[in-house]
Amino acid sequence: MRIHSSNSRGLALLAALACLAASALATAQIQPTKESLSELYPGKAYSPYAQRRFPDRVYWGDTHLHTGLSVDAGLFGARLGLDDAYRFARGEEVMASSGQPARLGRALDWLVIADHSDAMGFFNDLAAGSPNILGYEQGQRWYDGLQAGGDASAAAALDLITTFSQGKINPEMLAQYSPGSKIYASVWDKVVDAAERFNDPGSFTALIGFEWTSLVAGNNLHRNVIFRDGAARAGQVVPYTTQVPIGSTDPLDLYRWLENYESKTGGSALALAHNGNLSNGLMFPVDRQYTGRKLDDTYVEKRARWEPMYEITQIKGDGEAHPLLSPDDAFADYETWDAGNLDLSEAKTDDMLKGEYAREALKNGLLLEKRLGTNPYKFGLVGSTDSHTGLVAVEEENFFGKATNAEPSARRMNHPFTRTDKGAFEGYELVASGFTAVWAEENTREAIWDAMARKEVYGTTGPRMTVRFFGGWDYNADDLNSRAPAFRGYEKGVPMGSDLRARSGDGAPTFMVYALRDAIGANLDRIQVVKGWLDRKGKTHEKVYDVAWSAGREPGADGTLPPVGNTVDIENANWTNTIGASELGAVWTDPDFDPSQSAFYYARVLEIPTPRWVVYDAFRYGIEIPEGAETTHQERAYTSPIWYTP
Amino acid sequence: MIKRILREPLLHFLILGGLLFLAYDQLGGDAPPRPDEIVIDAARIEMLQKQFERTWQRPPMPPELDGLVDAWLREEIFYREGLALGLDQGDPVVRLRVAQKMDFISEGLLVEPPDEPALHSWFEEHAEQYRVEPIFTVQQVYYDPGRFDDEWAGAVAAARAALASGTEPEPLGGTLMPAAMADVSAREVSRVFGADFTDTLADAPVGRWHGPVQSGFGVHLVRLEERIPGRIPALAEVRDEVERDYLAQQREAMNDALYDSLRSRYTIRYENVAAPVAPDGSGSDLTRSP
Repeated sequence: MRIHSSNSRGLALLAALACLAASALATAQIQPTKESLSELYPGKAYSPYAQRRFPDRVYWGDTHLHTGLSVDAGLFGARLGLDDAYRFARGEEVMASSGQPARLGRALDWLVIADHSDAMGFFNDLAAGSPNILGYEQGQRWYDGLQAGGDASAAAALDLITTFSQGKINPEMLAQYSPGSKIYASVWDKVVDAAERFNDPGSFTALIGFEWTSLVAGNNLHRNVIFRDGAARAGQVVPYTTQVPIGSTDPLDLYRWLENYESKTGGSALALAHNGNLSNGLMFPVDRQYTGRKLDDTYVEKRARWEPMYEITQIKGDGEAHPLLSPDDAFADYETWDAGNLDLSEAKTDDMLKGEYAREALKNGLLLEKRLGTNPYKFGLVGSTDSHTGLVAVEEENFFGKATNAEPSARRMNHPFTRTDKGAFEGYELVASGFTAVWAEENTREAIWDAMARKEVYGTTGPRMTVRFFGGWDYNADDLNSRAPAFRGYEKGVPMGSDLRARSGDGAPTFMVYALRDAIGANLDRIQVVKGWLDRKGKTHEKVYDVAWSAGREPGADGTLPPVGNTVDIENANWTNTIGASELGAVWTDPDFDPSQSAFYYARVLEIPTPRWVVYDAFRYGIEIPEGAETTHQERAYTSPIWYTP
Repeated sequence: MIKRILREPLLHFLILGGLLFLAYDQLGGDAPPRPDEIVIDAARIEMLQKQFERTWQRPPMPPELDGLVDAWLREEIFYREGLALGLDQGDPVVRLRVAQKMDFISEGLLVEPPDEPALHSWFEEHAEQYRVEPIFTVQQVYYDPGRFDDEWAGAVAAARAALASGTEPEPLGGTLMPAAMADVSAREVSRVFGADFTDTLADAPVGRWHGPVQSGFGVHLVRLEERIPGRIPALAEVRDEVERDYLAQQREAMNDALYDSLRSRYTIRYENVAAPVAPDGSGSDLTRSP
């Protein structure tokens, strides 16, 4: 069954309206049905919002922000610290490092500040091991004086000055000079403290995290680590680094560290990788790890255990699919960064691509599962900024760039992000992307983290469209057209990020997918389901299906759906919602299902074309867009997959 | 007057901040007695151990500790030799790190918890930013005008009449937008329906269907069940938040003051280049709002 929502929904609405109009005269009251009183819905039919047992809210955030504490960010001129970053994410106005006021269009619900761990956990010599100031006679005296106020306070201040000027101050005390002040032993302590101060359960969640920045010969193997816990647990440790002898660049060592963290503190943490597109083939190995060791049980089990998500899109390129790997996917070439590795010390070659892109990894995961028993690449999909400005500003018309030198200016489009003799990442190629949506019961560290761990998350390239994706064996059109499709979704199947329930009967899996556009954003072009599978011979395949689209189009003889159109006015940096649809939905059954083949399915939701950030820059600064720069694009959401295992 | 000035934490800071340099100069840090001697004492070992322990939650085994000491020693020797060659000079990473440490120090000066009267007056001045948002309980039925051509107005009117006569909105399914939101803040409503929609709730009638109300998606019939107006909370309700914001502002002011006090000790000469009209970011606590 294949339903084009625009038609079916429209009819349903018309029917409903007719029914309403009629019932104004008649007495036809609608009674709650039996289904609506299921286990998921234990409350009274009229009050479905109480006692609901599934996540009904989507919370927006970023898993990956750097502040001025990250040395590279600092070198680019980032001065904003932890507090500024949290304030900005909460929707407050801050002064960007480049001296311009900045504010987010809409606040985020949660944030992970993930500064580089190297050097962050090292103790500051100044503070380490020093006894408290009150242990010193001088300190106690001043402290008392300053606290007393009045004359005593004035005297204490004078005493301080005299002592200082005579050089008679106790050197150790100098490190602890201020009574009542907080002395941090390490930058990490400061990071944890800031998260504690800004974590506000119910309205804004500050998850504690860091980036483990493993860079092997310029190839990006970075992972972010996110804690479920607060200071009581996360504060016991210092973040894992890449510096020997304590740290390492091998992910297996990071997994050991995570394991150790959980067993020693009783806490919980997870990791997620990013920018496989800049790893020159190392991110998703199929045969050998970058260390030369063959992939074995340990590797696949640990990777599956500790990396439940992958950052699929961010400022340094979109990592879903590559046109060479997915030649039949008309939308695969989106914000592609394939000139080389992270520092462009080595150019990209085509054979590297298969170890770099998420869709290919999801496919190879099926292969590895068959070979080794565990799928190491069974991850949910999220989007992040990886901004190094302290600002999660990736709205197209409010983009503050990758680093402080790429904050808004008339020059930034023409200033290369990286350029070496191997190639260039041009300034205009920076991507104003992305955010992570989390389906959770409430806005707390625990609920958000748990949703990440169960992969009930999706990534977008910036817009905040609401997307549901359920997989089961018997969804039908009525489920989609019911008043609250999510109830049916959870009752009859599983949400994004899960395994399909055991097959019953001899049918093909059905998927209920629906999307609502960003409340202040662009209409939707279409919803697609991307399927990947493993055939009997051990070969992987993929196919992209259009499953719902805005009205007025039908696929041609070759099955290709015509483009939605384009309203972008580049000169005036404008577009209109006169094409596309506010909402799209479908119940889709896999027409090519083979029960003997393992498979995954995820949804990709495309917006209608809108201007890229360069168009706004050109308009506001009155400058030309550099040749070669893309001006329009179709922003998108990627849901976490649903897997089928025979 | 003078007493009040003396009580200002900012002044304490200025004194301390300004003299910090001098003090360090005079004390000369913990330079080793001889340049070709490296002392590994109990304090050093303890620090290395602690580092390891914080990472792995257990003390290092003897061979691990040896490894830590070896690595430290190697780093120390290279560090000293590098310093002797002046390799720290002109290195942007070293420069940044050392400069960051100054921030670190000045932030540590902040007195917590803050002085009670100061906190109160800060709150009074900034009360508006702690305003509790209005809370709504609202139902809605959505129509996409695009699906009804010119007839949507009539359809909506009919539906409105039906709803007014007590018909449940139950059959109008198939939208991702919630049919009802209970006890939610204005921000929550805006997240889903946009700010324009939420604005209409400010003076919408309570307890009956009204509309059509416009949103970015289309039009809605709306029934506002309850509206709890926004208000300024008492300090006690938002104390943690106020304390955090107040301290953040103080911290920023201190950093700026430290910079100003240090900057005033330098003569800055622009050689063969134009001096900027207004030095950027230097300074006054008035340039930033919390």
